[in-house]
Order: sequence, then C-alpha cells, then structure tokens
Amino acid sequence: MNRKRKEKQDIPKQAYTRVTLLIQIFMTVVAAMFIAPILIIINYSFKTKKELYLTSPLSLPSELQFDNYKKAFTKLNMVTTFSNTFFYTVVSVVILALLCGTTAWAIARCKAKFFRFCYIYFIVGILIPYQALFLPIYIIGYNMKLTNTRIGIIFMYIATGISFGVFLMTSFMSTVPIELEEAARIDGCSVFRTYFSVVMPLLKPAMATLVIMQAFQIWNDYLLASLYVSKKQLKTLTVAIQSLFSAQTSDYSTAMAAIIISVLPIAILFISLQKYFIKGMTVGAVKG
Amino acid sequence: MKKNNSMEKSMERQYLVMVLPGFIIFTIGLIIPMFMALRYSFTSWDGMSSVKPFVGFQNYIDLIKDPEFRSAWWFTFKFTIGNTILQNVFALLFAMALDSGIKAQKLYRTAFFVPCLISAVIVGFVWLRMFSNVLPAINDLLGTNFNFLLFGDGKTVLSGLLIANNWQWIGYWMLIYLAGLQSIPSDLYEAAKVDGAGAFTRFKNITIPMLAPAITICVVGITTGSLKVYDLLVSSTKGGPGRASTSIIYQTYTTAINGRQYGYGSAMSVSLVIVLLLVALIQVKGLKSKEVQA
Repeated sequence: MNRKRKEKQDIPKQAYTRVTLLIQIFMTVVAAMFIAPILIIINYSFKTKKELYLTSPLSLPSELQFDNYKKAFTKLNMVTTFSNTFFYTVVSVVILALLCGTTAWAIARCKAKFFRFCYIYFIVGILIPYQALFLPIYIIGYNMKLTNTRIGIIFMYIATGISFGVFLMTSFMSTVPIELEEAARIDGCSVFRTYFSVVMPLLKPAMATLVIMQAFQIWNDYLLASLYVSKKQLKTLTVAIQSLFSAQTSDYSTAMAAIIISVLPIAILFISLQKYFIKGMTVGAVKG
Repeated sequence: MKKNNSMEKSMERQYLVMVLPGFIIFTIGLIIPMFMALRYSFTSWDGMSSVKPFVGFQNYIDLIKDPEFRSAWWFTFKFTIGNTILQNVFALLFAMALDSGIKAQKLYRTAFFVPCLISAVIVGFVWLRMFSNVLPAINDLLGTNFNFLLFGDGKTVLSGLLIANNWQWIGYWMLIYLAGLQSIPSDLYEAAKVDGAGAFTRFKNITIPMLAPAITICVVGITTGSLKVYDLLVSSTKGGPGRASTSIIYQTYTTAINGRQYGYGSAMSVSLVIVLLLVALIQVKGLKSKEVQA
C-alpha cells in the first residue's frame, strides 16, 4: 500500500487542471474549518481570566503565559492522573499485543474445530462494543472485587480490546511465511518455541499497529474508567478532565489547557507512528 | 502413524494453551456479562440486596410502555441514521477530493484526521464552548444573527451533536476511503474513458464497486459507533435539554447506576445488544452480497 502511495506522488493521476485548483481551494477552506476549533482551544489555553471575560473569543491573548497550564496541572492532580493513565495504557497494550499474537496465530494455524469457533467467538466483541454491556461489566467487576484496583481496570481493557486485536492479528497472519515455521518444527522446535523465536519477530509491525490503535482507545476511554475507578489516587486523565469540566464551568481557559495536556501524548504517538495507525485502520478495507 | 497422531495431539494441546488465556479473559470480561444482563433483565434487582426477585418479562413489558425509554431510542436512532448518512457521504467526498491530484495531500489528511485523536468527552466540551461562546462572537464580528446555541434547544440539539460527532470522525472514515481509492488501478478509469464513460458512470461503475469493502467497514463502524454514544453527551448536553439528547446508554446509566434499578437497566442493555446484533447482521449480509456482485 505504501509503495502505491509513493508512486502516486511521483506520477499524478491527472494533470493539475482548473477543476483541481477549484477543489484545492475548496478543500483548503474546509480543512481550515476543521482545524479552527483546535486553534481556538490553543488560543483559549493562553488567555487570562480577565481576557476570557472581556475580550472576544477570537482575539489573541496579550502575552504568552502558562498560568492556565500550571492551574490545570494542580487541578487535574496531574502527576497522579497522568501516570495512572499512562500505566493502564502501557500495561494493557503490552499484554494485549502478546495475547492477541499468540491467540491469532493459534487460530490461524490450528485447523481443529474449536479454533474456528474461537475466531467467531472473539468477533462477537467487535459487533457488541463493551459500552452496550457496561452495566453487567460493572457488576461482574464489583463481584470479583476488581473495581477500584489497577488490575481490575487493566483486566477490563484487555477483555474489551481483545476482539479487535485478534481480528487485526489474524488478518496479518497471511504475511508470515509458513515455510519458516515448518523448518523450525523439523529442527525440533515445540509450538511455543516456534512462535516465540520465529513468528513473533515477524509480527512486530502488526503488533505496532495493534499497540497504537489500542493505546489511543484506552487513553481516551471514559465510561469504563469512570465506572471502575472512584478512588482519587486511581483516577485517569479523562475522568479528571470531565470533573474539571463540570466543576469549573466559568473558568474554561484552565479546562482548555487541560485538554492540550491530555491530547499531546496521543498526538505525538500518532505523528510518530502514523504509518502503523493507518495500516490498522484499513485492514479489510482495501481489495486484495 | 500412531506417533504422528500423538504428535498432532500434543501440538493441538500447545495451541490450546496459547488461545486459552485470551479466551478466558474475554469470556469473563464480555461474554459472561452478556448473559448476566440477560439474567438480571428478568429480575427486579436493585443492585444492593442479595435477593434478585424474578419477575419474568415484566421489565420488557414496562420498557415498551416507558416513554423515557422510547424517547431514548428515538434519539439514538436519529443520531445513528444522521451519522451514517453524513459521515459516509462527506468522508467519501473528502477522500475523492484529496485523491483528485491536489497538492499537499498529506497536510489535508492530517487536518481532517486530528479531531478523532481527541476523547469524545473533550469533543463534547469543545463544541459546547464553540456553540455558546465562539460562534456567537463570529456573529458579532460579521454583524449576522445566526442562532448558534444549538445545545440549548430540544429542536436543534441533535444537529449540534451531529456537527460535533461528524467533526470528530469524518477524517477517520475518510482515511479508510482514501486507502480504498488509492488501491483502485488507474487503468480501469482510463479504459472506461476510452469507452466514452462519463464521470458519473465511472463513479457508479468503477469507484463504488471497487470501494465495496471500505463501504462495508465504514457503514458498520459508524452505525455501531453511533448506537453506543455516551461520552459525547456527558460533557456537552448531559442528555438535555429536557430529555432531548438522552441516548440509550445514557438512559441505562441513569436508570441503573443513579436510579438503582439494575434489573430494569439490564433489560435496556439487552435491547441495545439485540439491536446491535441485528444491525450488524443485516448490514454485513446486505453489503457483502453487493461485494460479491462487484
């Protein structure tokens, strides 16, 4: 897919006509409209309280000051919430990558009936998003004493993310040459050793795709985090931001600074791993 | 032969060990809850007491009569239809515009994509501010008098939420369409041009059939995504004004968690699961059959 894209940039499909120019102008306007709210957030995040009330929302702040960021930092209990979110996200995606890799490989390689059933079983989770089942998910967590624990919320992020992960990984399995595995087996490797020494290294790009797609889901999750965690020292960034939104309806320049802080890590992750992200999104969308 | 058989058995056992951890976690985290919801939906459990009185289909009978439940579904339904149409149309249009040979395609791609990296809770808040503070300021600037307070009126709240949701997700689906468009071999278009096919015929007979897998993914993704809307509402409308923007999940949350009616709330969850499964089944079937024809 990437190669195709490059070719396209070298040899444009059509010549740059007047119609193309019109499209270009139109799309520039539309893109500007899409970006405008983000610029407005950034602009707000630098405004003082006085400027917030007295000047137009569209005017620029008189000076570059970081008071809002400092306030947001303390109000969100930033050190705790940020490291919590970071911890939940990283642990969940690492375990997800490992689990989905082994699961998908076993499903792709073992032809026994149970494994074919497994694939359909996992796909059910894509068709029924966990949000639809938040109530029993909360009850089961409560009964198993998983609420208000780090393990509990990580467990649920894994359980709710595994469907998509298995789907993604299984569709990548065709890129793993089966001959290599057969060679390893003839050399006397067990199934486990074959997987960990031959297959897993080949799955790295797929795992990168899985990691970034899930990281972005978990980082932004609100419903599960708000249900599972009520203790202050376990709260996530999104939950803290939502309480900030409802507590401080008037002083929203602080909220805007909080937004920037929370979006930044995921934006950086996206920009540096864009390639993998797009790969994960387009699985199944392109006719082979 | 015998040896071979036992080796296969041992391999199968090893594969099983690899599947099992994920299988168990998934079962506990999603499949068992699904059956729990079904079971509780036949009780009048309040979530706290140890007794869960069995009431049969009473909850479902009450649901059908419950105006709040019906209005929640009506809103969710309108929101879903609106999103499915708008997001698909705009995502495809934008993708085609970006694929038409304009310069700096990557820049546009990023501009449209960035909003979907933001949590829906934040998107809701940002649009709350956009409608109540920023856009009225544009009115002042231009001397116009548009009513931008879309979240303040039950009649306009749906359009406001559609704008917010479309702003967030169009770029995501656009990227999928773009990848689909770029995988269409250009000689197909050239051959059609030689045969004298006009732009619309080419779109109808080449672009759409070749995009069929992407269309399936986008339609199913947007529909399921809209049916589960909750985060967006929490920070923007809180289900209001009145109940005008209470989605089915929002209603379940209020009923079960705040109202302590776990049995009744479970019945609501079950209704959503049934709808989700039906929608997915119908769409995948309908859209897949189109793919085969193409």
